Amino acid sequence: MEAARLGISKLGGADTLCRGSDPVAARHFKVSSITFRGAVTAEDPRSVLRRWLEAETLLVVGRSIERADSLEKALGRARFVEDFLEEGYLVARLALARTPHARLKAVKCSPALRVSGVLRVLTHRDIPGENQVGYAIPDQPLLAEGKVRYYGEPVAVVVGRDPDAVNEAVDLIELEAEPLPTLLDPLEAMERRDVLVHDALDSNIAFRTRVRKGDVEEGFGKADVVVENTYRTHHQEHVYLEPEAALAIPDLENRITVLATIQYPHLGQKIVSRVLGLPASYVKVVAPYIGGGFGGKDDEGPLVAARAALAAYHLRRPVFLYYTREDSIQVHPKREAAVIRYKSGASRDGRLTAIEVTIVHDTGAYANRGPFILWRATMHSSGPYYVPNAKVDGYCVYTNKVPQGSFRGFGNPPVHFAVESQMDQLAEKLGMDPVEFRLINLLRPGNETLTGQVLESSVGIHEALRRLAASSGWRAKRQEYGQLRAGRFRRGIGVAVAWHGNSTSRGVPDWSNAYIHVARDGSVSVYTGIVEMGQGSPSSSHRQLVAEILGCPIDKIRIVFGTTDAPDSGATHASRGTSVGAIGIVVAAGRIRSRLESFLSEYYGVERDRVEMSRGQVFVDGEVRMSWEELVALAYSKGVDLSATGYFFLPKGTFNEEVGQGFAYPAFSFIAVVVEIEVDTCTGRVRVLEVHPALAIGKVVNPEAVKTQVEGAVLQGIGYALMERLVFSADGKIVNDNLTDYVIPTFHEVPAIRDAIFVEDLWEFGPFGAKGVGEMALIPMPAAIANAMSHALGARILELPATLERVYSIARQTCGG
Amino acid sequence: MYYRLPKIEYFRPKTLEEAVGLLEKVEGSKVIAGGTDILVDAKTSRVRVKALVDIGSIAELRGIEDLGGAIRIGAATKLQELLESSAVSENLPLLRAAVESMASWQIRNMATVGGNLCNASPAADTAPPLLAYDAELVVVGPGGSRTVPITKFFTGYRATALGRAEILKEIIVRKAEWTGWNYIKLGRRDGFTLSIVAVAVLARVRNGTVEDVRIALNSVAPTPVRAYGAEEMLRGREVSRGALERAAREVMDEVSPIDDVRSTAWFRREMSYRLTLDALTKALGAE
Ligand SMILES: Cc1cc2nc3c(=O)[nH]c(=O)nc-3n(C[C@H](O)[C@H](O)[C@H](O)COP(=O)(O)OP(=O)(O)OC[C@H]3O[C@@H](n4cnc5c(N)ncnc54)[C@H](O)[C@@H]3O)c2cc1C
Repeated sequence: MEAARLGISKLGGADTLCRGSDPVAARHFKVSSITFRGAVTAEDPRSVLRRWLEAETLLVVGRSIERADSLEKALGRARFVEDFLEEGYLVARLALARTPHARLKAVKCSPALRVSGVLRVLTHRDIPGENQVGYAIPDQPLLAEGKVRYYGEPVAVVVGRDPDAVNEAVDLIELEAEPLPTLLDPLEAMERRDVLVHDALDSNIAFRTRVRKGDVEEGFGKADVVVENTYRTHHQEHVYLEPEAALAIPDLENRITVLATIQYPHLGQKIVSRVLGLPASYVKVVAPYIGGGFGGKDDEGPLVAARAALAAYHLRRPVFLYYTREDSIQVHPKREAAVIRYKSGASRDGRLTAIEVTIVHDTGAYANRGPFILWRATMHSSGPYYVPNAKVDGYCVYTNKVPQGSFRGFGNPPVHFAVESQMDQLAEKLGMDPVEFRLINLLRPGNETLTGQVLESSVGIHEALRRLAASSGWRAKRQEYGQLRAGRFRRGIGVAVAWHGNSTSRGVPDWSNAYIHVARDGSVSVYTGIVEMGQGSPSSSHRQLVAEILGCPIDKIRIVFGTTDAPDSGATHASRGTSVGAIGIVVAAGRIRSRLESFLSEYYGVERDRVEMSRGQVFVDGEVRMSWEELVALAYSKGVDLSATGYFFLPKGTFNEEVGQGFAYPAFSFIAVVVEIEVDTCTGRVRVLEVHPALAIGKVVNPEAVKTQVEGAVLQGIGYALMERLVFSADGKIVNDNLTDYVIPTFHEVPAIRDAIFVEDLWEFGPFGAKGVGEMALIPMPAAIANAMSHALGARILELPATLERVYSIARQTCGG
Repeated sequence: MYYRLPKIEYFRPKTLEEAVGLLEKVEGSKVIAGGTDILVDAKTSRVRVKALVDIGSIAELRGIEDLGGAIRIGAATKLQELLESSAVSENLPLLRAAVESMASWQIRNMATVGGNLCNASPAADTAPPLLAYDAELVVVGPGGSRTVPITKFFTGYRATALGRAEILKEIIVRKAEWTGWNYIKLGRRDGFTLSIVAVAVLARVRNGTVEDVRIALNSVAPTPVRAYGAEEMLRGREVSRGALERAAREVMDEVSPIDDVRSTAWFRREMSYRLTLDALTKALGAE
């Protein structure tokens, strides 16, 4: 079988995942008496996951419980990094390069050092360990060394007693540098070899990807219609409410604790220890509450932590490093700007026959996570459709601009803008309805993806789109608005679907972990590295998982999040906080539950399945026997171990990079959105009126939390599609590095967002079958808006953002005002 | 807290004379009213400030008064007070509409109308309506008091007719009978933003004839401007679609927009036409 060849495990087909009975699992759980072997089997991570995946009745999971952080945040008591600043701590800011490309001879610090209150200016020379922080490729220094590669690149850390001194001093840092020619256009940079952003390479191409599947020529030969276009997308800035900050505190034994705006404390620990040349055990990283991340603090977080730690290391005192909004916008990586050439063909019966795609990402001065972003974009470039023949080439290209980086959707919003625009145009040429055309091609269980991976289960997109078309009134509105294509204000309705692989790609290791400890009074501490940046996994879904599994009252559960004192749980990115990131919590809690059940069955002398733990009570044959607190006290006195970790290593397959075929991701989340808009053809103003989402994301652990993720992502998608745009000057400086000039949507732009349709296509390894959701709703938004615009205007936008001016220029011929 | 605000000396005089005296005496001093412009500028070093003279405690600079034949607005009156004033909504609905489009409730509770004018941004939103009303500005300085017509107040990009140590005291708008008005602001988003272009129109139409009309715009020139040529084309004319279109086209020739992060000059010129036409259509009752 194809799947076997690719090394894909076929555990649990579609049927067994639908809560049916599985003889193997049943054997594990119907143990009549507790034996040592039985206990071990029951504690096997896969058994634990399967048991809860198949649980028949759920009391806490699947409900909208109140978040643990709501009151604290409403009252202003929640503490963010800056709130830990104490009198007498030193403060620091970054000095940034004011040139886009130059050979760096020296950093002139003396004028800055003469400012009263300034204590130290640290440059690359002061780094005791390695000045190397590139995530995908070792190409990036923590502080510029040898060369400056973008306007805004950090060159020094200025440390002083107060912000006034430091603010004055950063402007006085000058570079002794020899300017070099600047590359700003990725298409030009790809061709040039006379100017190199990284001298050690022989071109400006940092990374390439490719897919070769079937025979594209043959595929296009079979096509009755072919559509070919070039799409362009732009940089997007994250605009988290809280700009980057870190507080580094050295302790007596030369250890350093860093509080930082960071999405992966354990990665921060790794980077800090590398930069300082200390073992990781000497570095503790904590993320208190974070004011938004969206991926930006996954890239920049460890670097902020390392720069603060460097200062604390040298000054032996606590140092608070902060970015102003302008610093933040100039320095941290942005959503990739992309140029995508897309050719696709379909036969008269509505089947896709071939795609040929070239993706160029402007990765800026450093690769950062660019190669991973490009990889993801490449392997998703078909959209969630069955495509027999494909040729895809990806290029991640260096330029002298701010680096590209992680941002909600991670390569997928631009590529979906292209695919989903193509799908509408193919449908139009075929004379088919866009939904019908998609339904013919959408992946179903048992289908093969672009990379030849067979998806046996957890593929609910077909049902999601079918139900969405019905509930949104698609057919009638499509007809009605289409007939009204006249006058100044035009209505349009558009659809787009998207998929997004869960976990890291290919065989790149990914795991989950957590540590749970039940205290004698019955209170439960859960340690996880997952952070709380507003998304709500530690403050809601994690508590739900534990409460469901232990059957204890939910208010007994405290989640200690975002700390390297917890086992490494992986990053809070890639929509994984409640999915992959929480698997460890399920496993750890499941282990404790299983021990308590064994104990109870022995204690009452009954078979295990006659014991039930829920709602804070213990039942035998449905009768209450004791409370959770009594159970814990008893367990303590009888020698039951009530602490557990939950390590789980995700099984993966193999991948052939030469042809881009093989195992890409363990599971995919899916979404479909229908968007209704109104266009003022005389001003180019596009108003998004209504958004109808449908999600196939496995188990929905907390519907309210999913709703807030959808709402936030929809709005961020509207901003990205319609107004957000970084403007670069001729020397690569970001001109609009403030919130007057860089605009994001406000409440005025919030459309009516309908309740999402959920197709619970459970994922065998997800907590109770949950897949990721955080990024999903952003991915199809630009495409859906573009498709609705094309429906309204009969003309198409190929470049984002669809600013008033761009829309006006395609609509004005028909301006009926 | 951590922004680059330089060290600034701060004064809070109780009287206008005291304030003028301080501005004369203290080197590098500037007026601060709500601070929503000047603090942002000081932070980004667009404006260098050594000392600030806060006019917020000077009673005679505050408040809105109906003088019978005119409305008096103290320069340090908050934008939110303008929105909530019945004298403004009854007599100066065009000004009210413009203020309604400005910033957010929080900002409007700090920002003042005088600050908006004295800051003299080409995008100032109170300027087009006050230009249209032909407001008079009362200025007080070391040499005493003088009145400047608002049409002479903006002298260049971010420059005003205010002399050294002069303070804008109040804005006087004479009452007149207008039959229609309209303010249209086009920005990159629906609210809480500076304009790409905004247009204010005041009109008096009788028996289908334009007796008087005023057209003013922002963000299309170094200062907020009146479109005198277009006004002239309409005065005494009958209201007709063609007349309105010709006037709107004339506005396109009168403006001198630039490219910036908000828009290109081309689009601003196009929108000067469109918004003027829309505003005229509404204000002249030509719908
Ligand atoms: C988030 C935000 C949104 C905004 N949105 C808008 C908008 O939609 N439209 C718009 O037009 N503006 C907007 N602004 C700009 C600003 O709020 C207004 O221009 C406001 O009216 C300025 O008033 P102020 O009292 O705060 O001025 P200040 O900042 O106190 O002063 C501005 C300037 O005027 C001088 N000045 C002030 N009062 C006097 C006086 N009486 N005599 C002499 N000089 C004086 C000061 O010296 C300074 O140079 C916005 C600002 C922010 C921060």
